This record gives sequence, C-alpha cells and structure tokens, in this order.
Amino acid sequence: MGDKQSTISDIVKNYYNNYGLRAKELKGEGKQFIGYVCSLVPLEIITASGCIPFRVRGSVYEPITRGDTLLETIVCPYYRSVFDLSVKGKYDFLSGMVIPHGCDSMVRSFSAWSYGLPFSYFHFVNIPSVCDESSFEFFDSELGAFKKSLEKFTGKAITEEHLRQAIRVHNENRDKVRALYELRKTDPPLISGTELTMTLTAGSSLPIEESNDLFDQVLTGVKGRKNSLPQKGPRIFIDGACLDNIELIKLVEELGGNVVADTICNGARDHLPKTDVGGDSIEALSRRYLGKVNCPKTYRANKAGTFEGDIANRFGDIGTYAREFKADGAILYVYKYCDPFGFEVPARKAYYHSLNLPLLHLEDIYSAGTMGQLRTRVQAFLEMIG
Amino acid sequence: MTLPDYFAGIDIGSTMTKAVILDKGVIASIIGPTGPEQRRLANRVMEEALKQAALSIQEINFIVATGYGRINVPFADKQFTEITCHGRGIVQLFPEARTIIDIGGQDVKGIKIDASGKIVDFVMNDKCAAGSGRFIEVIADTLGVSLDTVGDLSLQSSHPATISNICTIYAQQEVAASLAEGVPLSDLLAGVHQSLADRICRMVNRLRVEDSVIVTGGGAKNRGLINALSEQLGHKVLVPEDPLLTGALGAALMGKEIIEKARKSNAPIETKERILEEVEIL
Amino acid sequence: MAEEQKEAKPKKRTTATKAAASIGPLVKEFITGTLQAKAEGKQKVAYTFIVCHHEEIFRALDVVPVWTENFAGICGAKRDAERFLQRAESLGLSRSLCTYALCGIGFDQWREELGQMPPDAPWGGQVRPDFMISSGQILCDPRSKWYQASQQFMPDVPIYNIDLPYPLYQVNRDHREVLGYYHQYIVKQLRGLVAFLEEQTKKKMDYDRLRELVGLSDRTWNLIEETYDLRKAVPCPMGTGDAMNTMVPINFMMATQKAYDFFVDLKKELEEKIARGEGEVENEKYRLMWGGGLPAWYALNDFNYFNSKGASFPAETTYRMVAPLHEMDLPETKDPIEHLAWRWLGYWTFWYDRARKRPGSEPDVERLINRIEEYKIDGVVMHEAFSCRTWHVGLIWQLHQLSKIYKPIPVYVIGKDGKKEKGYRELPSLVLESDIIDITSYSEVDTRNKIDAFVETLESIRTSRAA
Repeated sequence: MGDKQSTISDIVKNYYNNYGLRAKELKGEGKQFIGYVCSLVPLEIITASGCIPFRVRGSVYEPITRGDTLLETIVCPYYRSVFDLSVKGKYDFLSGMVIPHGCDSMVRSFSAWSYGLPFSYFHFVNIPSVCDESSFEFFDSELGAFKKSLEKFTGKAITEEHLRQAIRVHNENRDKVRALYELRKTDPPLISGTELTMTLTAGSSLPIEESNDLFDQVLTGVKGRKNSLPQKGPRIFIDGACLDNIELIKLVEELGGNVVADTICNGARDHLPKTDVGGDSIEALSRRYLGKVNCPKTYRANKAGTFEGDIANRFGDIGTYAREFKADGAILYVYKYCDPFGFEVPARKAYYHSLNLPLLHLEDIYSAGTMGQLRTRVQAFLEMIG
Repeated sequence: MTLPDYFAGIDIGSTMTKAVILDKGVIASIIGPTGPEQRRLANRVMEEALKQAALSIQEINFIVATGYGRINVPFADKQFTEITCHGRGIVQLFPEARTIIDIGGQDVKGIKIDASGKIVDFVMNDKCAAGSGRFIEVIADTLGVSLDTVGDLSLQSSHPATISNICTIYAQQEVAASLAEGVPLSDLLAGVHQSLADRICRMVNRLRVEDSVIVTGGGAKNRGLINALSEQLGHKVLVPEDPLLTGALGAALMGKEIIEKARKSNAPIETKERILEEVEIL
Repeated sequence: MAEEQKEAKPKKRTTATKAAASIGPLVKEFITGTLQAKAEGKQKVAYTFIVCHHEEIFRALDVVPVWTENFAGICGAKRDAERFLQRAESLGLSRSLCTYALCGIGFDQWREELGQMPPDAPWGGQVRPDFMISSGQILCDPRSKWYQASQQFMPDVPIYNIDLPYPLYQVNRDHREVLGYYHQYIVKQLRGLVAFLEEQTKKKMDYDRLRELVGLSDRTWNLIEETYDLRKAVPCPMGTGDAMNTMVPINFMMATQKAYDFFVDLKKELEEKIARGEGEVENEKYRLMWGGGLPAWYALNDFNYFNSKGASFPAETTYRMVAPLHEMDLPETKDPIEHLAWRWLGYWTFWYDRARKRPGSEPDVERLINRIEEYKIDGVVMHEAFSCRTWHVGLIWQLHQLSKIYKPIPVYVIGKDGKKEKGYRELPSLVLESDIIDITSYSEVDTRNKIDAFVETLESIRTSRAA
C-alpha cells in the first residue's frame, strides 16, 4: 500500500472511530444535521431541505446504562444501544431526528425518544407494511407530510428542483458504493469487508457531497494498490440487519475468510438500490424506499403460489449477489428480539439450501463481549466450507 | 530407514485440558487438571503426555491445538475448532457416526458429519450455564451430592420430578424448595437430568439427527444424562470409551493429515518453534 | 413425552362474576365450532388476528375466523405451549420472538407433518385454514410475519395481508392533517379484503347485511363502555382477572348478537352486585389498575392472589379495545367500509387531543391518568412479557412520564426549615416480568414476593396519606 492509501484509510478510520466528528465541526458553521435510523428514511428529502442526514449508530463496546431506565430490555439490542447513546448525549449535536416505522421497537419507543431527547425537530415516517398500489399512494402522501414537516422546521420550501438535485447526488453516492463493491469481485478481493464497512459507515456521518468525495478517494486508493489482500480464503456473504460496528466482519477476516457481499442495512440495503429519475420525485422516492429496499419488515405477497417461488421472489437479491460475488458461504446474523428477521430464519435457511450455499446462522445481542463465543462458530464454519 | 512420525493434539477446554500423541496409534493420552487457573498451564499436560510417550517435543512432527483455549498456544503449529476435531476424532472411533453431541463444562455442541468425518452442519448453545454440564454441577452442589454419583442416583427414580425453571439460578431455588418439601433426591436428580436433556435435544433437533449418535465430553460420562438424552432424542446413543479425549485425538489426526497432504504435493510444512510455554487465555 | 411435558395444573381460578365464569366453555365452543365448520365444508375457515376491525366483513360473508392468538393463549393457559414452542425453536426460530406466533407455527408445522392434529392437541387443536388474513398495521410486526412463516408448511393456503396504519402521536402535529389519506388507504385495504373474501367464498358481499353488522358492533361498543363504567363503583364489582375472560366477546365475538347479549347480562349482573354492595374482594382496601401488558395466561391466579391481599382491579388498559363512539366525532357515512375505517382511526387517536392539552402528557399516559381519576386508582400494575414488543415496549417510559407529570397523592414532607409541609407524590407502580405463554420465564415465588412488597407500599402510603 502506498502512502496515499494509508492517509485515506486514516481519514476513514478517524471518521469511523470519532463518529460525528465532521458533524460537530459543521454544526459550528451553522449546518443542521438530522439523525435517522434504519434504511427506510428517505434521505433525499432531508438533503433537499438543506439539512444533512446523519445515520445514528450504536456501540458494541458501550454498556447500556441510562437507556435501560427508559426502555425495556426486550427491544432489539442494536436499537437499544442506539437509544442509550442518544440519551447519554452522544448525538446532542443533531438538530433533529427521524424515526421510521421500521419495526415494533421503533414504533413503540417513539415517545421515549421524542420526549427524552433535546432535539427541536422530531418526525415519524409511517412505512406501509404491504406493497399494493394503494400502499404506494399512501406512502406518497406520507412522504409529502414528511416534506412538509421539514419545510416547517427550516422555514424554507422544498421544490421539485431541490428534490431532483438531492436524488441525483444520492444516486451518485450509490454508484460509488457500487464501484466499491465491484472491487470485491477479484479473488482475493481488492478491498476487505472491514475496510468497506468502515468506509460506508464513515460516509453515513458526512454531508452527501463529502461522502462522495471520500468514496472517490477510497476508490482511487484501492485501485492503485499493488497487491490485492494477502489472503485467499472462503468468500463470505453476510445477511442481516444493521451491522454498524465492524467486529463480526473483522472476525471473519481474521479467521481467514473474505467478506465479499452482504444484505446488511448499512451495506447493500442502504446503498445499492437507486432512485428512478425523470418522473415525479416523491413518487420515485416512494418506489425506492417501499419497493426497492428489501427489508423483511415489508410484507411481499406470495405471487408464485409455491414456497420455492415465494422465497425466490423474496430473497432473490441474495441469490443475485451471491452469484455475482461468487460467495462460498453465508452468515445469517440476526439480533435477538428481532421479529422481522427472526421469523424469516427457516425460510432464509431453505433459500440458502436451494442455492446450495452453506449457511451459518448466528443469533447475537450487539455486544463486543460475545465475539469470543462467535469465534468458535465462525472458525468451525470456515473449516467446514474451506 | 525413515524416522517414525509423531503427531500431538491438545484440547484446552473450559474445565479440562486433554492431550493425545499418535504414531500409527495412540501412544499417550493425558487428561489434565480442571479449574480456570490451571488452564493456562496446558504446557504441563503436554509435558506429561510427552513423558508418557517417552518423546521430546522436538520429535513431534505436528501439533494441533483445539478447544476454548486453542488460540494462543505457543507450541502449536495450527489451530482448529473443537467442532472440526471432534468430527475427525469420532469418525476414527465410530466410522458410522453421523451426529455428535459434545457436552462440555460450559457449552454444548451438536455436530453433523459425513462419512469422512467432515462437518456438514453444527449448532452451539449460547454461553448460558443452563444448557451445559455446569447445570448439573450447580444442582449437585445444592443437593450436597458428589458429581460422580448424580447420574447413577437419578437412574433409581421411578417418578422424575418436574423442573419448570431452565435458568440455573431459578432451578437451584426450585430444587432446594422441592427437597425441603420432601421430594426424594433421586426423583429430583432424574428431573434435573431430564430438564438438561430436554434443553440439549431442543438445540440438537435443529440439525436433522441421524444415526449413529455419539455423545462426547464430560457429560458423556453421566449415565443418567445419557439415558435421558437417548429417550428424548428417540435415538440410540453411543459413548466412546474415553469421551473426554475425542477432541484431542481429532486434533492429532488433523495434524497427521496436514503432513501427509503436504508430503504428497511436496508443499513446505510450516511448523512453529517448539517452546513449552504457558498458554495465554483470552 | 407430550404428557410429561405438561406442567402441573394450577389451582382453579375464581371469578367475581358469573359472566366471566361462563367464558371457558364459550371459548371451547368456538374452537370445536371451527373444527366442525371445516369438517362440514359449508363455510370457509380463516386464520386471523384480533383488533383489525374486520369482523363485520368476515361475518357478512360467513367466513369463520380462527383467532390464532387465542389458540396460543389457550395452549398457554393450559400450560401446554412448551412442546409447540420447542418445535418452532427446532425450525430455527428464536425463543425471543413472539411466543404466540412461535406456538402457532410450531403447531402448524407439526399438524402439517403428521397430516392430522398433533397428539392431545388442546381442545381438539387448531384447524387447517382455507386461507389466512393477516394485518401488519402499525402495531405488531409478528402479525405480518407469522402466517408467512406458517405458509412454508402449507404453501397451498393463501394469505391476504391488510395494512391498517394509524398516525402515530407527534406532539407538534395535529393528526387531523393526515387523517384523510390514512382513511383513504384503510378503505382501499378493507375493500381489497372484501374482494379477496368474495373470491375465496364465491359469494357477493351483501352491503345491507354488512351495514347491519357494523351497527350491531357499534351498539356493542357503547354497551361495553357502559358496562365497564360500572366498575367505577366502590367496592368494585368486577376486576381485571374477570376482564381477561370478558375480553373474549370483545375481541373474538364482535359483530355477533351473542356478544351484545353477553354484555346485556354482564351489565345486569354488575348492577345487581353494586346494589348489594358486593365487591370483587370482600374488604376492598386498594384499587389497582392493570396499566399495560398482556397477562401471563398460565398465571391468571395471581389476580386471586392480589385479591387475597384486599386489592381489586377496577380498570385495565389491556384488551379494552373499544372506546366511546359518541366522543369520537366520526364523519357521517352510509358506506359501512368507510365507517369501519373512521372507527379504526377514531379508536387509535382517541386520546390524542386530551394528551395535547396536558403538558408533558402523551396518549397512553393520558389514558392512564384518565382511568386513575375515573376509577379512583391507588396503584398501577404492569406486566412485561419478554417475547412481545408490541404491547410491552414503552411501558416503563409511560410510568416514568406519569410519575413526572402526575402526582396525586398528598403527603407530608419535611421542608427546608424542618417543618412538616404538604406535598404530593406519584402513584406507586409495579412491573411484573414473565411472558404471555412461555412458562419457563415465570417464577411464582418471585412474582408473589414482588406483589407482597407492592401491597406493603400501598399500605404505607394509605397510612401516611395527608388529610
């Protein structure tokens, strides 16, 4: 690796480790950051309002303390950590917060958030549970209401032109993420899973233009590498919800695997689907966030009439990625208390079986303390498929 | 004349350290002391095994470490998980084995293997004492019975008690209360064994259990548990003669295979310096 | 094995009212009714969920609802859920998920594997449905995942999933701004359900009949309100223990004459008890509210335990899934589907305006305050069931917020100058922890210790209360 590369990875590491660093700087310059959780918040509308979307993160290293005095321990452990950090003031630099109907944990704790945190703007975006034509109509209106709430907050109208511009620059960001993913196709990949997840996570704390610049730098740096990663090893696909801490991916790579693709929220789910351009912006966003973001929370009707056909429709993106990135095995990583993912485990298992892709299913609690026990499972799995 | 080959496997479990040395067959096997502070001293177990085989550590061609403490064994050439090693060790002893249940001090594993001993699938319980050998230990302690006798005592029961709590702490209270109410000891123990067997079955049933089923680890020495398991699984259950050693045996065999494979392809064999130092535990 | 795994039967629970005592056989009757309907094949049988405001549509098309949450609850109450939960676990489903759903999926998978009911299935078992109607709403994730998971084992049984959202309470927004498009969406979703059921039953919807049924449930709603209002009497004639029985006609029998008649009888019974001065407990010392959480169905006896300490439960929030219609200001419409959609939104936003008027309040908190005042409540009890996020997340925050904004108990405190001063303190509360049907999470000793300590707190507050 050349010098240039090391400076880029230092920038990424710095943003990753000091999450929110840039936001705090820019707040000093009068910029307003709006926090969000989940892949289902239409970021383009925040960008169009002149505010900056900021993905709120948890920490697997921080024991949950204050959060537990306000929120039950039976909520999703990832979300519990995010809430705990928030009530401890880690994200006090934000001006507002948007929470979508991503799961029951988000819905039922909305009051605990909105009454407990000092932000002047709070909004809940209701995401339909089904995907009918009428659901898209409803979602158009719901996004209209979201837009209106931001206009009220900033005192400025959001025009169609603002939205188009925001869609363009967010799509650019997705093109760059796609290009980063392309670097994983060689064997061994040019970029490790750990580096990629750190880069994307760092990006989600920056204004979208800066995120674009950062991704460009990483792309140039990685393409200029003399050698690919040192080790060939089983090519692993990670399937699950939000893994905004790199520990699991790092563990896989320490043990000799290479993470080459994923469905995770702060990976492919957030970053790969693009918004259509040319038509009405709100409608295009509604199609993207409800139609294209594939989250188990959204019920997609069984149109095939068979189980095999149903799972092929629901999980088809997994098969496509797995083939494209030549995965040798997959890890389905599910948080305890996660109803949307949890109920899909048998069907997902069957789907991986139909792909003939070996699968390791892990249930975890979003804590670095569990990595020791995950180590044996991951290593045994790599031994099994290696 | 070529020198004979020697392979060693060392299995550092959460409560016991085991070592096996092979040439064509097992020439030494040692089960080391228990307890967390001794785990570090796995080198002593290795020393003893070497003494038994009348070998020096330099004479061992390849050493594989496995088990919970495998990660920082300074004298091991390679590490494999106990899952892979149990598979390899068991298929050597029971070529017809397809399902392995390893009941250790701190965790339980279910392993499916194919005819060559290769892992097809596995499950592991989370680090909760309720599903492991520790559960029986705690209850034996509460009831004031020695751990070696609980299994046999439980077999004397004709009316196993129902233990409704699976949490070790709750179950401990429940058992103490039942004892005070006069429930016979053997019935309580039978209930406790059934409850543990039930937890284990629930986990192992996530794999499609196929014959033959082999149980290894410390739990395999408990006849009461083996009976309860066999009954609840609906499968006959076999136990190796020395159920604690299958991981170390498998580890030694893995080493043997690595050497053989390397020789066949003329690949270099990477070994570490043979220093018998203490083990760092994570 | 199946037999051995059944837990020991608890002592039979006693109810305060005859009406509540009549519920057990009634439930058994509809479980056998579903089996019979399926055997006869004249009516279609459908899995579905409570609180979807779709009963009228079902009944107008003669579809027999199989309330799958009810069946899981029965397994729990009979302490026979464990074997079904274990089956679900062996499929790879985590025990931390909704145990109703786990029980149902485990049961379905077993029934489908056998091609007949699992051995000793509770009350004859849960019938194989002709189709499944789920609803994601904004209320419960497992609802839209459960039947999808079950469908793996019966792929020929179709699912229709209706979305029934409502606007979440947001402090700075008048929910009326968005009600219009919510209403439009719900109407379309319900019409979609009608079309699906018409196709499945090969019948046409008779809208006059639907209108009549909607009218019947509206009348039942009002009657339930009037009946439950009677529990404001001191001593309280009927407690939450009984209400966990009388929830049956509210949630499983809506849009039937039988449900209406049930409440006519219950109302009469309560009026008579009040006239005789007869309470749920003989010497009522404390009036408690079940302020949140579904009950532990296998441990309903705990209500009797509360009673034995002189504690009565005149009010609860759980399963009182109705609200006074005349206070809702629903838009007039002749279209019964439109009315159902308005009633849905009216129910879920019922406390919004009131909450907005009280600083720091919130709809669920406001409802607690309202019941505390109307029912003269001395303490709040909640139950946190680990497997259900829908009804059990937000409860401790509600108690936290309640204690912050609402301090109704006058007490003397020692002021700065060392003199006794009159002050106010919050209502005491108790949070019990276990599960709806997973009995392994429950400890009777622990629960009763907590109850004892809570009753001691109530007693000390009673004696130290300032005049």
